[in-house]
Amino acid sequence: MQKIRTTFVFDESLNSTFLAELFEGDTIYAETVFEDFLKDLPIYWQRVETAYNSKNLPALGTAVHTCKTLFGYVGFTDLQELCQQFENKCSVNTAEELRVEYILLIQRKERAQHIIEKEYDRLRLFNEGR
Amino acid sequence: MGSLTRAAPTSFAKSFANRPQPGCATGLVNRGFTHCFWMKISCIIVEDIQIAADFLRKFCEKSDLVEVKGHFLNVADALEFLDRERVDLLFLDVEMPGATGFDLLDSLTYSPMIILTTSKTEYAFDAFQYHVNDYLKKPFTYKRFLEAIQKLQTQTAEPAPAPSPAPAPQQPATITTETDFLFIKSEDKLVKLKKDDILFLESMRDYVKFVTPAKSYITYSTLKNMEEKLIGPIFLKVHRSYIVNINKIDDIRGNTIYLLGNQIPIGKGHKDEVAARLNIL
Repeated sequence: MQKIRTTFVFDESLNSTFLAELFEGDTIYAETVFEDFLKDLPIYWQRVETAYNSKNLPALGTAVHTCKTLFGYVGFTDLQELCQQFENKCSVNTAEELRVEYILLIQRKERAQHIIEKEYDRLRLFNEGR
Repeated sequence: MGSLTRAAPTSFAKSFANRPQPGCATGLVNRGFTHCFWMKISCIIVEDIQIAADFLRKFCEKSDLVEVKGHFLNVADALEFLDRERVDLLFLDVEMPGATGFDLLDSLTYSPMIILTTSKTEYAFDAFQYHVNDYLKKPFTYKRFLEAIQKLQTQTAEPAPAPSPAPAPQQPATITTETDFLFIKSEDKLVKLKKDDILFLESMRDYVKFVTPAKSYITYSTLKNMEEKLIGPIFLKVHRSYIVNINKIDDIRGNTIYLLGNQIPIGKGHKDEVAARLNIL
């Protein structure tokens, strides 16, 4: 019997067109990348928190820059844009002035992390069933 | 920030440009460009984000055109490697802890091909200034990666354009190894320098500064080129960016050579050779 091949459909909050181009249907590699993202993000985000708490704005900009890149590899292109705006503001604003945006960034990051956790589980199940 | 014209590329580029391509028929075309290379492009990846480096390594392997010699998380480690080994191509991130990709470019003593990989478009102007071969905005797809490699192929296959905007018509130094002097092209004339008068040579990317007690001269060349031409008992490369006249050394303190009021660092990879050549007991 011919095995029916299905296509993995990413969560709608992710840029699925870009992810399709990036992974070219390689869901095994996508699983690896999503797993790495979940391992790496807390480490990089710790740098964001440390920099913000110590009011080290140049370090904060650099740390957000790194997270921005990371978000791109799992399809959060809109979050990348938000990070870019925040990064730009780090060179002209104080930590106090960035407080509202910082809280928004934390919320978006936590939401993103949650989505990727679910997507990682879905990818794992999808790959196991192949 | 440098705005110097890049020198001719290294081994791969030269060999590719001069290479006859027998059997390079359209039937060999794969993924948009020919697989007529006789050797792979050697490269290193300088990137502090592991996921980004992993993608790049995967793309290189998938293409079967680029061989990854190493991945470095920071500029210092990459420079240490580049001090020992040459590669054809650098995939270079810009923002990294400690030093930027542009700092690395400033420290290079030869001119490999460069593809900048960054998530900031703001660096495009700097990339232009540094004459990098291409600029990949992260995250990028395999298709975009291949386009960049294809662009390298095109660039290296074409005759090298005249350096522009070069400050003045420049030529490498003319050195006669059998004499005790040499001529270097500096500004608009050939300057005669006695080898004995030279204190040290300093790399300035695609230029070399000759320092004498009286004056300094800058010529369009690379330190590597000078190193090859100044082989002899009195000159010694002590750092990736410096060649010194050992007769002029006053003293050495730690990893620093003192030479008529100038301080020259001794590179990690050169310590043993310095010790051997200077008869350090």
